[in-house]
Parts: sequence; structure tokens; C-alpha cells
Amino acid sequence: MAMLNREIMNAVSDIIMNRPLPIREVDQIYMKAGDLALQSFFIGQRFRDLDVVFIGDGDAVALSTMYLFHCDLLDVAPKSIHLLDFDERIVNSVIRFADKYRFTNRISASLYNVIDPLPSTHQRRYDAFYTNPPWGASNEGESVKAFVERGIQATRDHNAQGAIVIGDDPALVWTQEVLHVIQEASLGEDFIVSEMVPAVHNYHLDDAPHLRSCNCLVRRARQRTGTYSSEALSPDRYARFYGRNNPLRIRYIREELSLNVGRAVDQTYKLEFLEGKS
Amino acid sequence: MIRILTNGAGLIFMKIGIHAQEGVEDIIARKKREYEQAGMIFWGYGGNTCHPTTFIQPFAKTQAEHQAQVFLMMHKMTSNHNADPVSAKQYSEDGIEWKPIPEGIQVVGSRYAMVIGNLTEEQFDLNLRNLVVAMGPKRGALGTDYIQGHVDKGCFEYHERAETPEETELKHIDLYSPLKPPYAVFLK
Ligand SMILES: C[S@@+](CC[C@H](N)C(=O)[O-])C[C@H]1O[C@@H](n2cnc3c(N)ncnc32)[C@H](O)[C@@H]1O
Repeated sequence: MAMLNREIMNAVSDIIMNRPLPIREVDQIYMKAGDLALQSFFIGQRFRDLDVVFIGDGDAVALSTMYLFHCDLLDVAPKSIHLLDFDERIVNSVIRFADKYRFTNRISASLYNVIDPLPSTHQRRYDAFYTNPPWGASNEGESVKAFVERGIQATRDHNAQGAIVIGDDPALVWTQEVLHVIQEASLGEDFIVSEMVPAVHNYHLDDAPHLRSCNCLVRRARQRTGTYSSEALSPDRYARFYGRNNPLRIRYIREELSLNVGRAVDQTYKLEFLEGKS
Repeated sequence: MIRILTNGAGLIFMKIGIHAQEGVEDIIARKKREYEQAGMIFWGYGGNTCHPTTFIQPFAKTQAEHQAQVFLMMHKMTSNHNADPVSAKQYSEDGIEWKPIPEGIQVVGSRYAMVIGNLTEEQFDLNLRNLVVAMGPKRGALGTDYIQGHVDKGCFEYHERAETPEETELKHIDLYSPLKPPYAVFLK
């Protein structure tokens, strides 16, 4: 039997308890615990000492990596991570957690929808980007391209790197098509594939429990010259963002403030008191 | 029936059984009355594989763009479903704007409903090997690789194959009905 590391499992459990419940309508489909731990090790090593930006991260790979490092369960980690996500619940869950365990010097988060131009404060700022976007099953990878483009815009003119985490199952034709599209698009942006770890991560996905994702790492091969402008996404590019006839219609997901963050929502249970007590 | 199952046709396969403590035959009789009164039926369902706005509506709209109608095809089976028979009071097409459930319609114990026309009771065999998953992350997979374990319904395109199916790949269909706009709704 494989070795079980109690400290690592408990740390990942803290992270999982902190993840807001996923909203399938916007493709939030969370990575399973064991893969989350392994992915944190992987990202810790590959992006060691770098300033990294995450474009969307419901899985909480960013938080998990930094937390494991903070708990001395990882030897190496990025220097800093900034998370951009359009779900305020996710953004706040990262800020609150880092604040509680006191590592806000290493991780931060802010609200951003990839439909919008990348704010200038984030342009050309980071050494690496990471994205696990909507996988583009029915949009020929358009949603993946949008996330990757934002990642590239956020990275420096030279020596930039990226990690693209998307579906990979040779038996499902669309996953191979999207991989093809995205590698081609990366080349177009002067990024080459530097490493490909096929079919590694599992997800909580009812209708495709065995569909896994790969780590496709890319690296800038030619220095960026001149300027670029980060434009808003054109409507034809988000008409099928979450699938055919399923456009992007939401700017932000807002958090409803509640006093019992991380506990069962009041409406889901009823207390039955002992006789005579209330 | 042969008419409906042409190549490229869109269909939703669904297993049905006792629901919220009510037997299938009772449900069918009640739903037929519903059609007479309201001119449509809300067929309640749950689970995560046929979500109204990410699966059913985009699927039916895409078919409608090609002037094609999607049929809900139901396979009766023995099952237990003991959820409390709580009646839905409101429905919504987008999960945002809610309206009262139309006069004459009653759906119990379900989070979602497909909006369908009259029910036709007719028996025939559907070969799961002829079904190709049309929506979601398993798009392109065969029905035989999809309808498994907890997955008991899905959106498919019909594509006839030459191979003879195994006995277990044939599912008898007991009743069917066309989907009608808005195709699927949320309930509360
Ligand atoms: C689309 S999901 C992909 C699946 C991934 N395993 C997950 O659940 O995190 C990744 C993240 O992107 C975010 N996201 C979805 N659409 C977005 C958009 N238009 N702009 C910014 N972030 C978005 C989601 O909130 C989620 O945190």
C-alpha cells in the first residue's frame, strides 16, 4: 500500500474545507484531493521562486501550494502568487485563508473576468502563468485560448513560462483537438511546449468521472518586442464560452455575506429540540 | 418511431421509475391529464448530467437551429425514490427570474423539469451503441460508455452503426415525447 502522509492530507483537507461549493454552470469542477496535493508539489518545483499569476483557480492549487510550503510540507514554492478569478467567493476564500494562517506576503487575489482587458497593473508583471480554464469541449478551445492569452499578457517579455491544465483523453476526440488548437495558438504567441505530462488529474465530475487533465507546460522561446494592447474579448469569442448556445453572460459571481462561512447553509437543515427546550 | 430515429437526430435518454414515492403508471396517468389541462407537461428530474441551462437548453436550441426536434425517450425500470413529495411552487428558465407553476401542472420532489408535449406510449428497442454523447465533457463517446453506474440519462445524437448490438446494449423504450420551448426549467 502507498504511504499515507497524515500532515499533507490534513493540510489539503484544510484547503478543501475552504473551497466554496462549485458552480457547474461556469465550469467549476474541482480537482480531487490526492491530485491537488501532487499538483501543488509539481507547481512548487516547476515555478520555484517565480512570481506567478493564476487565471482562474476554483481547484485552489495556488492556495494549496503556498499553504503546504508555509507548513514546511514543501521544500520549494513560487516567490508569490496572484490569483485572478471572476468569482468573488473564490477570491475572498483565498484572502481569508491566507490571512488566518498568516502568509498574505506570498499570495493575493483579485476579481477579474477574462472578457475584460487585463488591468495594466497585471500586464508583463509575472514570470509565469497557470490556468485550468473551461476546457472547450464544444467551442474548439476558444475558452482555453482566451484564458491562455490573458496569462501570456500578464507575463514578462522574456523567459516567461506557463502551465495549461486541460482535458486529455485519447479516446475523446475533442480533447485532442483542443490540445492541438492550444499548442498551435501558443506557438503563434512564441511559446513552445516545454513539457507535457499527459492525463494526470482527476476531478469531481459526475458525467465523466474518468476524464483527466494534463499539465501542458509552455515557455517563451522568442523575446516579445514592441508593445501590445490587451483588448476586451469580442462577442463572437464568448458566444460559446461554456459550450454551444451557452454564452458567457456573467460579469462577476458575488459572494453573499454570511456569518457562518465554511459551515452548512442554514436552509439545508432544521434543528429538532429535546422536548421542552428551544 | 422509425421516422424519429434518423441519423443525426437529437434525443434525451432517461431511465424512469418510482419517483417521490409515486409509481410510474400513476405518474404517467397524472401527466397525461396535465397535458389535457395545460397543453404541456413538466417532467420532473434531478441529478447532475442534464442541467437545464448547460445541457438541455443549449442542446435543444442547437437542434432547433437545424429545424430538428429533440425527443425525450424513457426507459422504465424498477427503482426506489423516496424523496418527500414536495410540490414545486415556482419555475424558472434561467434560475434568476421565477414564475408561478402554470395552472394544471404539478411536479413533485424534483429540482428540474423537462418541458414536453404529449406522451406516446410505444415500445421499441434503442441501441445504446447507436447513441453518441452530444453535450458536456464526454462529447463524442458512445452511449454504452456513458449510461453506466449513477449516470442514468443524457443528451445524444443518433448514429446508426453496422455492428449487431449485444443484448445488454439494447434498452427498451416505453414512452416518448417531444421537448417544447423552453425545453428545461429549474423548480423551487
Ligand atoms: C472554469 S474553472 C475550470 C475547472 C477547474 N478545475 C476549476 O474548477 O477551477 C476555473 C476557474 O475559472 C473561473 N472562471 C470561469 N469563467 C471565468 C471568466 N470568464 N473569467 C475569470 N474566471 C473565470 C472559475 O470561477 C474557476 O475558478
